[in-house]
Amino acid sequence: MHIPPAALRQLQHTVGKDNILTDDISLSLYAYDCSLSRTRPDALINLPSEESISPVLRILHQYAIPFVPRAAATNHAGSCSALNGGVILNTAGLNRILQINTREGYALVQTGVITGDLQDKLAPLGFFYAPDPASERVCTLGGNLAQNASGARCMKYGGTIDHILEADFVLPDGTEMHFSRRDIGPDWIGLLAGSEGTLGLIKRMKVKILPAAKHIKTFLVTFPSLADSVQTVSDLAAQGIIPRCVEAMDQVTTRAVEAFAHAGYPTNAQALLILELDGTPAQIEREEKQLEGICLHNHAQQFIPAKTEAERQKLWFGRRAAYAAMARLAPNVMVGDGTVPRSELPRALEKVRRILDENHIYASLLFHAGDGNFHPQIVFDERHKPETVRVTRAIKEILQACVDCGGTISGEHGIGVEKRAVMAYQYDTPTLDLFTHIKHAADPLGIANPLKLIPLDYASRTREPAALPPALQQLSDQLKTCRQAHTPLIPAGANTRLHANTRTLSTHTLCRIVDIDKTNYTATAEAGVLLKDLTTALRGKNVFCALPDGPGTLGGAFASGCVPDFYPDVLGIEALLPDGSYIRYGGKLMKNAAGYHLTRLFAGSQGTLGIITRLTFKIFATPVARAEARRFQPAVSNPLWEALKKQLDPDGLFPALEGGMDA
Amino acid sequence: MPDFFAPKLDPLHPQRHLDALDTPFGKRSVYDSVSYCTRCGSCQQACPTYLLTAQETFSPRGRNQLVRLAAEGKLNLKKNRQLAEKTLNTCLLCGRCTQACAGKIPTAEHMLELRRTLQSRALPRLLFGLLSLHGSHPRLFSAWVKTGLWLRRLGVVTLMRRCGLTRLAGLQWVNHADDILPDAPDRPQRTAWKQKDVLLQQEPTLIYLPSLEADFFMPSVALSTLTLVEQKKHRVQIWHNTASGLFEYVYGDIRQSRRLLRRLINRRAQTAGGSLPLLTDSIDVYLFLRRSPQLFTDWPRWRAKAEELAKSVLFVTDVWPRARLTQPDKETRVRLDASALFTREGAPFDKAHKILQTQFKKNFVECLYKDADTPAFGYSFVRQNLHHKICMSAVQGIARTQTGTVFTLSGLSALELNFYLKRFYPLAQADHLTRLNG
Repeated sequence: MHIPPAALRQLQHTVGKDNILTDDISLSLYAYDCSLSRTRPDALINLPSEESISPVLRILHQYAIPFVPRAAATNHAGSCSALNGGVILNTAGLNRILQINTREGYALVQTGVITGDLQDKLAPLGFFYAPDPASERVCTLGGNLAQNASGARCMKYGGTIDHILEADFVLPDGTEMHFSRRDIGPDWIGLLAGSEGTLGLIKRMKVKILPAAKHIKTFLVTFPSLADSVQTVSDLAAQGIIPRCVEAMDQVTTRAVEAFAHAGYPTNAQALLILELDGTPAQIEREEKQLEGICLHNHAQQFIPAKTEAERQKLWFGRRAAYAAMARLAPNVMVGDGTVPRSELPRALEKVRRILDENHIYASLLFHAGDGNFHPQIVFDERHKPETVRVTRAIKEILQACVDCGGTISGEHGIGVEKRAVMAYQYDTPTLDLFTHIKHAADPLGIANPLKLIPLDYASRTREPAALPPALQQLSDQLKTCRQAHTPLIPAGANTRLHANTRTLSTHTLCRIVDIDKTNYTATAEAGVLLKDLTTALRGKNVFCALPDGPGTLGGAFASGCVPDFYPDVLGIEALLPDGSYIRYGGKLMKNAAGYHLTRLFAGSQGTLGIITRLTFKIFATPVARAEARRFQPAVSNPLWEALKKQLDPDGLFPALEGGMDA
Repeated sequence: MPDFFAPKLDPLHPQRHLDALDTPFGKRSVYDSVSYCTRCGSCQQACPTYLLTAQETFSPRGRNQLVRLAAEGKLNLKKNRQLAEKTLNTCLLCGRCTQACAGKIPTAEHMLELRRTLQSRALPRLLFGLLSLHGSHPRLFSAWVKTGLWLRRLGVVTLMRRCGLTRLAGLQWVNHADDILPDAPDRPQRTAWKQKDVLLQQEPTLIYLPSLEADFFMPSVALSTLTLVEQKKHRVQIWHNTASGLFEYVYGDIRQSRRLLRRLINRRAQTAGGSLPLLTDSIDVYLFLRRSPQLFTDWPRWRAKAEELAKSVLFVTDVWPRARLTQPDKETRVRLDASALFTREGAPFDKAHKILQTQFKKNFVECLYKDADTPAFGYSFVRQNLHHKICMSAVQGIARTQTGTVFTLSGLSALELNFYLKRFYPLAQADHLTRLNG
């Protein structure tokens, strides 16, 4: 795309002549990231300050010039390539840590701050930032949020999405927005997580910091099979032990690591787990005994605790060297990223190994066993065309196998352009339509990182959505009638919070607890299930959840915004949209970075975006702290929400709430 | 076998280039080597110029991709010569990126190859010409340096600076050289160093190849090195004013570098049985000689000889006595400035680290991941503005850790750093590691 001279002049005036580069070399060197994707932008803008972001975006919007935010460009999905040409916005220079507040537990950072730099600043203060992507030494916090990155500590602490308290964000038209976890309404920060710059540009963040664990113990455990290692992790969860980290490797990886890093890994075992416990010494000691018992029960061959800090560092050195060990074998390493329900991991890994063998591909398998997230590391030479074709085909088949196992095509790397086509395999048309609506709401001109995340012409390639069950069909028919009659209505559960004059549409017919899965530690229930019935049923099965044991329904607690601490536990959602379409997102997956985070969009949406029909959420083997239920308040609108409402519900079928009563 | 043709950067002038690079994973052509970059970005935060600019154009990943695109013909270097030179010449060749890289991509070597393709002149013309004499006309070079030093002592350089003559195009380097070079070396030391010639041993057991700075400007470094080897009961032959070929390898013509290496190999072969170890006090020369076989990939006979030379090269840490040298000053904190060309990994760095750690125990300051080092081997004459910023970062690191003495692995780095310390943090000083020996 050609950049109009007038736009160039205005941009030069805004950021300075030196910060706009259009020479061949600069453009060629901003054409790539860590993926295979390569496309040249038309210009590069080095953003000199946070203040320049909004004016720059306003100019780009005025001239409808596409832009791609780019910081360290370490992602594996091709999220940073300028597919439509346009402008690359280099945010790497916005790298200042503005404030660290240990009393209140946060750090205020610019978007380009390197994650490892923040860790280095926090360590002497006795604090840490929990998300730890493998590339933390080079990736940026803004990039982490945009890709919803996570790492080895995700099982216990969650991913980036759970550690951002506030975010300053600029929409593609230059509108500045401030989102906070304290806001009533949808979890907008959650929506930004994994949005890959398609909704705008992250400017500044307030991230949660935690006191560093004083006592940590690491173990190396070997198993005769991958299935045994995965079963061990499931058994740990069943016993209520949530390790700080659970990392697993197959034999190919351990052999490659040993050849390179000499970390002391036994190379005769088929699978290897690195487990790490933290807490008080007494707690660690207690859990260690349980851990050893569980490992031995699952046929562990060796159970080796790291006796000294040096030994612990050596174990982690090996894990961190896994990429390096493969990178030296061939010019390219493609790191796949799929997530399946934990119980499906052995089956998924078996399928993956078969696909790799069938395609004659050499790869190692690494996985965050606690989350069901695995990374095949495929070595190949991209200059060798037939080999590259085989690898891309195998990656596609692997991702499809993940979906077939009830999983997702991305756990933490994002979609970008590399996995875009497979999105049509994972999601049905209504869900992808919703993604498109979200994109259009934030970016009506389609200039923010265009052609990413959402597949092209997906309608013909998606699978047929499953038929709706009778109760849902009935609800859908009611919705249709109201829409035709132009009668606004408000979805309601047990009517514990609402006090509205508008007609309500009750979800009381959706009252089934669909599934309590003690393998994956998830429960699925319909939205109209009463909280007290739900908690009783869970207790009956000897499992627990973070929901308060109060009045109201599951859907009401989630949609009203009264229990925000419950949001991170919600893994999957199904909902009926104002146009009558039915969307399905997530499931028994501990993490999902494929597409916009719909669970967070509907959380606290107060029935304005659709009717939540079913939720899948985490349950625990031991009692957990109940999420605090706060007073119900009608949500405050913002330009993004209004735009989204216009997209999803142009007739105003679901109006915003006015007033309410105590929860 | 891959079905692709591996392109060359400069197919018309193969003699100006290395035929293949010796990497830890075997011989690789430049194109092959650069293709092993997976663009993961692990090197970015290790690169001093990227940390200063936050631009891909000045990062190792960007530089490697530039080489690859040039080799593949996707980028017209002639058309973009000025920018390409800027990207190339800003590289410090320090090897921090290689250290951070999983695949150990030798970015510095790629930069040199592209420089050779562009016939890029990184140094000011006059300075380059004068320093080239060291290899081509050593006696003339020696006379020139001595005359220059004499004129400097007479105050001619100061007069030139006052008159503004050194601000003239092509002469600005004189300012910087005048700044970093020490005032007239201590006369007794100079005399002692000269007398060492007289002490030339009849049956030497070791050859000492003093660096240019030790030979002409820092006799104390040379004398300390000699003390070290004498403690090891070596009989030393000193090869004064002998070029190793490193200067030509980095800044000049690789053919001249090969010539000088061949001369060095022949001279060693003719000295006392031809198998004496070769000691140097400059980490840059040491690392160059260790990788000298890759200059002779196409000449198997010479390659074998160069391999033998590489095996025989010693750095001062290799002749370090086991016992602690002196009682350490309990108050002074020390650190290691591992400034070097090509790499930061290997035995000399580990040994230097260990020596200082053993000697100073708690007073030895461990450097952090991103702590800056002084740019090595004349970078200050190539990119003075960037050099200044990097040195200032190094000084900030030294001041932050309240370090009293910074030990370097080459005399030139000590000279450069001392200049900045004197101006901005006079509580600290820099010295060559060998000076720990007194």
